[in-house]
Amino acid sequence: MELLGLSLALFGAALAAALSGIGSAMGIGIAGGSAAGVMTEDPNKFGSCLILQALPGTQGIYGLLIAFFVLNKLGLLGGAGAVALNWNQGLQIFASCLPIAIVGWISAIWQGRTSAASIQMISKKPEAMGKAIILPAMVETYAVLALLTSILMLMGVQVG
Amino acid sequence: MSYVYTVARLRGMENNLLDAGFFSRLMDSPGIEEALRALGETSYSQWLSQSNNNFDKAIDAEMLATCEELAQFVPDRELLTIFRMPYDFHNVKVLLKGLFKVRGGDSEGRRYDLLSKLGTINTDELTEAVETEEYGFLPYGLTDLIPQCWTLWDQTKNAQAVELIIDHGMFKAMLKVAEDLNIPDVINWVKFKIDAENLRSAIRLARMKYDANKALTFFHDGGNIRADDMAKLLNEPQETWSRILSHTDIGKVLSALNEAGDLKIALSEVTKSLDEYLVKVLESAKYSMDAPANVLLYLLTKEAETRNMRVALVCVAGGLDREFGRRLLSHVG
Repeated sequence: MELLGLSLALFGAALAAALSGIGSAMGIGIAGGSAAGVMTEDPNKFGSCLILQALPGTQGIYGLLIAFFVLNKLGLLGGAGAVALNWNQGLQIFASCLPIAIVGWISAIWQGRTSAASIQMISKKPEAMGKAIILPAMVETYAVLALLTSILMLMGVQVG
Repeated sequence: MSYVYTVARLRGMENNLLDAGFFSRLMDSPGIEEALRALGETSYSQWLSQSNNNFDKAIDAEMLATCEELAQFVPDRELLTIFRMPYDFHNVKVLLKGLFKVRGGDSEGRRYDLLSKLGTINTDELTEAVETEEYGFLPYGLTDLIPQCWTLWDQTKNAQAVELIIDHGMFKAMLKVAEDLNIPDVINWVKFKIDAENLRSAIRLARMKYDANKALTFFHDGGNIRADDMAKLLNEPQETWSRILSHTDIGKVLSALNEAGDLKIALSEVTKSLDEYLVKVLESAKYSMDAPANVLLYLLTKEAETRNMRVALVCVAGGLDREFGRRLLSHVG
């Protein structure tokens, strides 16, 4: 049962990093397609396009952060050895990883779509860069909330 | 290529479209030299120099270059086909009419100069196919349509009737390509285009006081409004048409018709309004970052630009009334 707890916790960490990473890759890909289209016509917009393209990448970082958090909580970082976990504790850690895994995955894709639209916006109105950043940043709010939820839940799980 | 890339690139290309201010400046040019100098500051300049300042050729070359550029990155080529197909059918009309004249004894009847390179079928290949009666490879139902044209010509010697069946064939082929593409905005646009053409025909027929009972052949099937309903309009006073068609989207365009009392003025006003309307039909696609209809929207906007360019330059070159010219300019883009 000890191994089951550890496995569940690691599975949660893997999901947090993998799903939000996949979402970010997809979001950046969508925004990148839009950026490439705009830059084909106006290569001078590289700077603005890059900022907007990078926005959906944060979910992948949040997922990675949670994965590190879990690994640290399990004692798998630093070579001290894994702490003992029962299946109940493992399930709690697994559940804590779900908010950022799911919200990170989906919000990154939608943020990518919003970024792509914003990139098209600055193609026509470069002076609206500020507004163009705010629109995809609104999607980011929910990824941040999911990150906070995952962190707070993980902090509440008692191990060892 | 994805539509996200395509639409983003089109947004960038839209920045190079000429605006109303440019056309106003063009219209204010004292002579054609000044107008061509203004044109030299635009993307048309490369074609102007290649065509020895022949603005007609330069305008065609610019539109052709646009189509060829889009063909490199638009995921569904059929969107370009829908736009370019009318030029193929125009070329078929030109070639057939030329051959009709030749067979009638006019050895100079062929008008190759009227052929448009904007069609999807190479003009040389099309000419050879029509002249040698080898239609096997022709797309869009032309394989069957051209022999039908010849049969009709042999029976009636009526070029207008032949043109009508070519138009029927064109709209049928456009609708088929749109339905195969299965993009609702594009299917709707083709239907609106058929309605617009039918309305234009109705106005022309009303001006000729044509008998409604014989008019059905002038209207095309496939639009949102049935062809026989369009024919019935001819039984009604023209000022009531907008009320009769008020349940349809295209009925809104008829307000222009009501404002212009004289039928001759109404025809040009409504033709312009309908062209603008066909662009507006697709404008909801502007708010989508990956709607395929944006491709068609861009092409129509570019086509309106070339049409405006032709109007402005013909006005300036011919010393025509500039106010009349300004009224003919489309307000799209």
